[in-house]
Amino acid sequence: MKRSTQRRLRQGGLYAVLLGVILYLAFSVDWENVRNSFWAEGLSGNWHDLIVVGVRHTVIYTLIAFSCGLVLALLLALMKLSPAFAYRWIATAYIELFRGLPALVTIIFMAFAVPIAFHWRPPGGGAGAGVVGLILVAGAYMAETIRAGIQAVPTGQVEAAHSLGMNGFHTMTAVVIPQAFRIVIPPLTNELVALIKDTSLLSVAGVALGGGELTTVTQNFMTDGPTAGTGTSLTQAALLYLVITLPLTQLVAWLERRQRRAR
Amino acid sequence: MTKRSLKTSAAAVAAVAALSFSLAACGSSDDDASEPAGSTTPTTSATADLDLVSDGKLTVCSDIPYPPFEKFDKSTPSGVAGFDIDMVQYAADKLGLGLEVLDEEFDGLQSGLTLNAGTCDVVASAMTITDEREKNLDFTQGYYNAAQSLLVPDDSDIASIDDLAGKKVGVQKGTTGEDYAEANAPDADIQVLKDDPSLFLALQAGQIDAILQDYPVNAEHEADGGYKVVETYDTGEHYGLAVKSGNTALLDALNDSIDAMKADGTYDTSYEKWFGTKPPAE
Repeated sequence: MKRSTQRRLRQGGLYAVLLGVILYLAFSVDWENVRNSFWAEGLSGNWHDLIVVGVRHTVIYTLIAFSCGLVLALLLALMKLSPAFAYRWIATAYIELFRGLPALVTIIFMAFAVPIAFHWRPPGGGAGAGVVGLILVAGAYMAETIRAGIQAVPTGQVEAAHSLGMNGFHTMTAVVIPQAFRIVIPPLTNELVALIKDTSLLSVAGVALGGGELTTVTQNFMTDGPTAGTGTSLTQAALLYLVITLPLTQLVAWLERRQRRAR
Repeated sequence: MTKRSLKTSAAAVAAVAALSFSLAACGSSDDDASEPAGSTTPTTSATADLDLVSDGKLTVCSDIPYPPFEKFDKSTPSGVAGFDIDMVQYAADKLGLGLEVLDEEFDGLQSGLTLNAGTCDVVASAMTITDEREKNLDFTQGYYNAAQSLLVPDDSDIASIDDLAGKKVGVQKGTTGEDYAEANAPDADIQVLKDDPSLFLALQAGQIDAILQDYPVNAEHEADGGYKVVETYDTGEHYGLAVKSGNTALLDALNDSIDAMKADGTYDTSYEKWFGTKPPAE
């Protein structure tokens, strides 16, 4: 038998297995039940609030957490690359701490423990405290990414900048950081996607009426409104999350392809 | 075909067989659960038609802790104690069943979602009987007359619900307290949290200025010191046990159990144990 025929046979076998599993799953699902529980009638009444309240707040919280987290991350990355030992140590301790804690714990900590301990409350009530928690977590993750990006800029660039008479600060801001950011845009976009999903944790800190993000609004619709008592709003929320995140992940894939070509 | 590829395809066949076996195993166990309990395994005739999610025991869902209705207590067989637990323990004993209590989010309990998913047979979670909830699950007769109340720190200047304008008042998600606050404190900044521990923590942290929820739970916080109940609102609310819509056999059994519990004095004893007073005359 020819080698190519063997390969085709083996591939055919693999596809048969896959098809078998898919068919088995499709036939073993109780579709009637699934439709009643997860795509119940009246679901069109949910879209307005899911989008106008839920998606809007999810996007707002994500953007605040991401932009503030990015500033914090840049600061931490520079500290971690600092020649001064104490700065490096503080940055490392911070990053390890907040990467090691679950985001949920950090949010609860900011919302409840910090006010009790310091008699100081982050602005914006429960949601505000939660967003501060997300900023702390996002900052820690992105700091490592940015540090790696800065270190990936070839040393020749720094040497060239120095030979042109640029000082250290100028070299960093005008030569190294711009190039580093080009490198880290795909991983940072991944962090943005993770943040979008992490906003669903904010409700533990308390939600003002009408101020809920997508998951909170979704849970309200599981108990209220036209599809109460079913998980229909969950299906709708899943679709909405994908509508937000899929373009972003595709953007990352495109950026990575473009970067590979440019090199 | 060479020996090598024979071996690979044999392995593939074995893998498929193993996979379909495990899938079949998942499927059949689900089937068992959805069939009436009596049809697959012999059980006592009294519980055969109750359509229990697992044979031989009454599975109860509750949002724990919510003292004095439910709180974790390692010394009891179910690991949970409280007035609600006494109610379902009595029913389980009467039916000759074991008792298992699961800790679930209240929102899923009150919407019927947890019951519909087949997680448990009964919801016993200080749940007020409302028309809205009755659409998605079936309630027993009421077993506790609950009032709403407003809890504030001792040094607060909030003396009544009218002082809540512009203040942050905490309510539990999906509760009648949330509805009451929305209807009666329209100018308040209502903050929704997931359960009583979160509410109390938020009050301690100053994230909220007051808690509006069922009186017995607020009374428990008042007794612990530092906080006071400034107002109670008799809303004519009654707690009921709940079962999945249409499970009349179990509903009847629970109603009988509540009647029997009141008749033989167990209800009064339990009421006094958890609330420190005799139940109000009906």
